[in-house]
Amino acid sequence: MPIELTDIARLAQILERSGVDTIEIEVSGQSLKLVVNTGPRMAASPTLAAPATDHSVIAKADVAGHFLAAHPWRDKPFVARGQRIEAGAIVGLVKIGVLYAPIVAPAAGTVDAVIAETGTMVGYGTPIVRIRPLS
Amino acid sequence: MIEILSVTGPASVQDLGRLDQYRFGVGTSGAMDDVALRAGNILLGNDENAAGLEIPMMPFKLRFDRDMAFALTGADVDAEIAGRVIPPWWRSHAGAGDILTIKAMARGARSYLAFSGGIDVPMVLGSRSTQFRGEFGGWHGRPLQPGDVLPCTASTATIGELGVEPAEVTLARPNADPDETLVRVVVAGEYDGFDAATQELFWSSSWKITPQSNRYGYRLQGPAVKPSMPIEKRSHGIVPGVIQIPPNGQPIIQMRDAQTSGGYPKIAAVIRADLWRVGQARLGRMLRFEQTAYADALAAEAEMSAYLDRLRANVGLVEETRTCR
Repeated sequence: MPIELTDIARLAQILERSGVDTIEIEVSGQSLKLVVNTGPRMAASPTLAAPATDHSVIAKADVAGHFLAAHPWRDKPFVARGQRIEAGAIVGLVKIGVLYAPIVAPAAGTVDAVIAETGTMVGYGTPIVRIRPLS
Repeated sequence: MIEILSVTGPASVQDLGRLDQYRFGVGTSGAMDDVALRAGNILLGNDENAAGLEIPMMPFKLRFDRDMAFALTGADVDAEIAGRVIPPWWRSHAGAGDILTIKAMARGARSYLAFSGGIDVPMVLGSRSTQFRGEFGGWHGRPLQPGDVLPCTASTATIGELGVEPAEVTLARPNADPDETLVRVVVAGEYDGFDAATQELFWSSSWKITPQSNRYGYRLQGPAVKPSMPIEKRSHGIVPGVIQIPPNGQPIIQMRDAQTSGGYPKIAAVIRADLWRVGQARLGRMLRFEQTAYADALAAEAEMSAYLDRLRANVGLVEETRTCR
């Protein structure tokens, strides 16, 4: 059975979810090597090195694609630093082909930082926005 | 079911149109921006021809009487569901009793609301579209009024929020002036009845959409474009998109509720891939016509289909990914 494009997409998702960054498989004469680009996540990690007393919550991407801070029809981004937001509020979009998947705030609070840069590739679990919860 | 609470202007139930009755003189009706209605239906997993609402003026307000997924596409509007802002070209979920409000339209001319399963009005002559001229189809053959309660076949299954890149973004025309809608047309039957200078005037002018423009047709204002010799023809079949030149030289673009026949000379016809752009051009906006070869008109249609194909494929993949987790 040949390797289909959809198989590759599914494998890429599994890799991302499991935190593995490379896989090689051979099926009936075909070989496939997939390497997941973990760059954005590594770049983001220093920002996340927070003091132990930090109770921040992070809004994360739940699908792979390109991060958009604003809708192309809007000048203003979904959220900006210092903004009060409700739990479930849309804080950005992940563009997958012609679709926009929302990234939502896991808790109500104040936007501390928009970590991801618009246009960059993000994956499952990539931190997008840091929120200081209401306490 | 959904209940219309507030409506401004002639909002109506529309699907993709009544396409098989033309030979009997029954016009197509159907969504003025068919791409937007299709996109909304694809987002919801509906048949693309499922009936939705076409809303040409704001404010507009409706109430859901049960849990239901819906999609808002078309014009760029300020909309809220139960107090939450709905981004453009977006699928969301309403709870029973939730009120959806559309307050203002920043760009475009028509907003579309599609509902999970579609609006369940009877098929009349093969379509659920409202036929304003014949006063049948849609909701009792008429524009919606406050208090109307429309049946929906919606399943109550919850589906997550998801957006689509608006067609205007994906299918943007290169170098288009933001203050004008560039409309590709092919020349039509009586084009040669206009002399070269008049033809040039037709192509080079900006045409203003006058207030006498609606689902029936758009009356345009600009320099008078008149044939070299008066052209008198018997009434003959015409289709949405045909651009006629009446005796005053001011073009009329026939739209979805146009008559099926007419006698004015036809200078050109809007290609099918650009009819939705005309449908989204609001009163007072300027149009400019761009001459297009038949082969390029087909290529433009293929590009429009490719956008919808990608959308279908992407929705399938995203749903699958979400189900996996």
